Amino acid sequence: MPSYDVMPEVQLYQPTEVDDALNLAEKFRQQGWLLGGGQDTYGWLKDRAKNPTALIDLNDIEAFKGIKATSTGIEIGALTTLRDIIRNPLINDHFEILAKAAGRVASPQIRNVGTLGGNLIQDTRCWYYRRGLACYRAGGNLCYADSPEAMNREHALFNASRCVAVSPSDTATALVALNATMVIKNIDGDREMSAEDFFVGPDTHITQMTALEPGEILTGIKLSNEWSNARYYFEKIADRDVWDFALVSIALVIKEEANTVKDSRMVCGGVACTPYRLNKVEQYLKGNPLSEKIITNAAKIASQGAETLNYNHFKIPLMENLVKRALRS
Amino acid sequence: MEFATLKKDVWGREVILGASWDLLWVILALTFIGIAMHAIIAAAKKRKAAPDSSGKRIERHEKIDRIFHWVMAVSMFVLLITGIFPKIGIEFAWLTIHWVAGLLLTVITIFHIFRSIFWQNIKDMWIGLKDFKEPFDESYKPGKYSLAQKSMHASVTILTLLVIVSGIIMFALIDTPWWERTNALSEDILGWVFLIHGLVSLALVAVISLHIYFGLRPEKLFYTRSMIKGWISEHEKDENHDQEKWVVKD
Repeated sequence: MPSYDVMPEVQLYQPTEVDDALNLAEKFRQQGWLLGGGQDTYGWLKDRAKNPTALIDLNDIEAFKGIKATSTGIEIGALTTLRDIIRNPLINDHFEILAKAAGRVASPQIRNVGTLGGNLIQDTRCWYYRRGLACYRAGGNLCYADSPEAMNREHALFNASRCVAVSPSDTATALVALNATMVIKNIDGDREMSAEDFFVGPDTHITQMTALEPGEILTGIKLSNEWSNARYYFEKIADRDVWDFALVSIALVIKEEANTVKDSRMVCGGVACTPYRLNKVEQYLKGNPLSEKIITNAAKIASQGAETLNYNHFKIPLMENLVKRALRS
Repeated sequence: MEFATLKKDVWGREVILGASWDLLWVILALTFIGIAMHAIIAAAKKRKAAPDSSGKRIERHEKIDRIFHWVMAVSMFVLLITGIFPKIGIEFAWLTIHWVAGLLLTVITIFHIFRSIFWQNIKDMWIGLKDFKEPFDESYKPGKYSLAQKSMHASVTILTLLVIVSGIIMFALIDTPWWERTNALSEDILGWVFLIHGLVSLALVAVISLHIYFGLRPEKLFYTRSMIKGWISEHEKDENHDQEKWVVKD
């Protein structure tokens, strides 16, 4: 596929009011492309792998930006840049895991313009799909990544259903761990859903990564105080230290009481099409002390049910070791 | 209107992707129009008095055949719902339900083939040249099955076999508890398989809609009852069937 290095002809809309943006999103639906920082946009468009008729630039809408304290926690506008999240005192004081995850996204230049919303709803990095091939995810009838000769070391271990692509978002794992709530708007009103439900797998939605429907805009993310100041751990393993996507990442928030685990949420990135919550590990840890034996068992439980492809077996020990490191931290 | 959707394969060649799902609305519209026209014509015709359902009962369908019919009906409905709903935007985890129902349909179809060959009189369902007198000669009475029933059965047989064969090929392309999927088919052949499966499924939508419509028509309800309870009355048999062609075993 040629890369044209120039933008295709597309109508550009730059609404300044929320209602205008929602009307445009509704008007163009699948044919409209919501533009935040643009870091997952320009590649698609320049490669002609996606061909929207309208680009709806949301950057002039102040209501979609900023971080503010609320009575129950904090609320982050979806258009807030990753840099602002990394530097924000509220987040660093209460939900540092999110700042840590945002700090591991791509490179400083990208974090300067990339937004939290964009990082969350970015499309998968499966290169067969990105190349514009008509795979399952692109509405086709086969998966190019799951064949004997395919390059699939980055692909999924869990919950693959025909498509084996993984969620590329670093902040998504942290937000699922923090039990965040996503705020979604359309012309009919608002709806809210948990971050865990926001990300959808290929068994139900093979052509989309999130529950966002055409005409809807992710406008904000709410973090309740439920996990504020909990002990946390975030680590991302990638081929490069910067400007790379996770091979496997882990986000853990944990509450302990009398040397035993009171509650925890542990989420792996890079192993499934959605941030992969380790529910069985969380259940196993509850009420147990974090002894070496418990940690070793938890790591084994974490990888149960993994279904490897030809080149991604290494993700299993990587994932198990990340679980151990998170719990030992 | 197109029957197939196309895509570029990995080499950039244009190949078939599958059936065009816009056809669903065309099929539904045509089927509805056909049913409405039939209903209007039938209502305009003078209706004969329905034969008495009391009196001696004649077994039309054995219990095992009735169970087969309804299991097939359920599996077919599940297959159509799980196959078509995601195509029209109703998203749910359909794939596992679809192939489980597909396996059930395959197993009971094989059962039915064996049963019809070895335990039933398969000739009861064959369509012969004489059967074509039936629509044009009111005095002509069929054997156990009318031409319409035989035609429905033949259509469903052909479509079901096609959908099963194409479905089994597609089944090999997904992960199951018994094997890991293969990508052994070339993209153009795969496209043909998807096309056949899709078009046959759409045809089944039409055929099954007609089957349900005729099964619910007042003058045919006794056949539906026989598929539930197994019997029709002697009056119903005498009125609609030739005694010599449908010889009831004691």
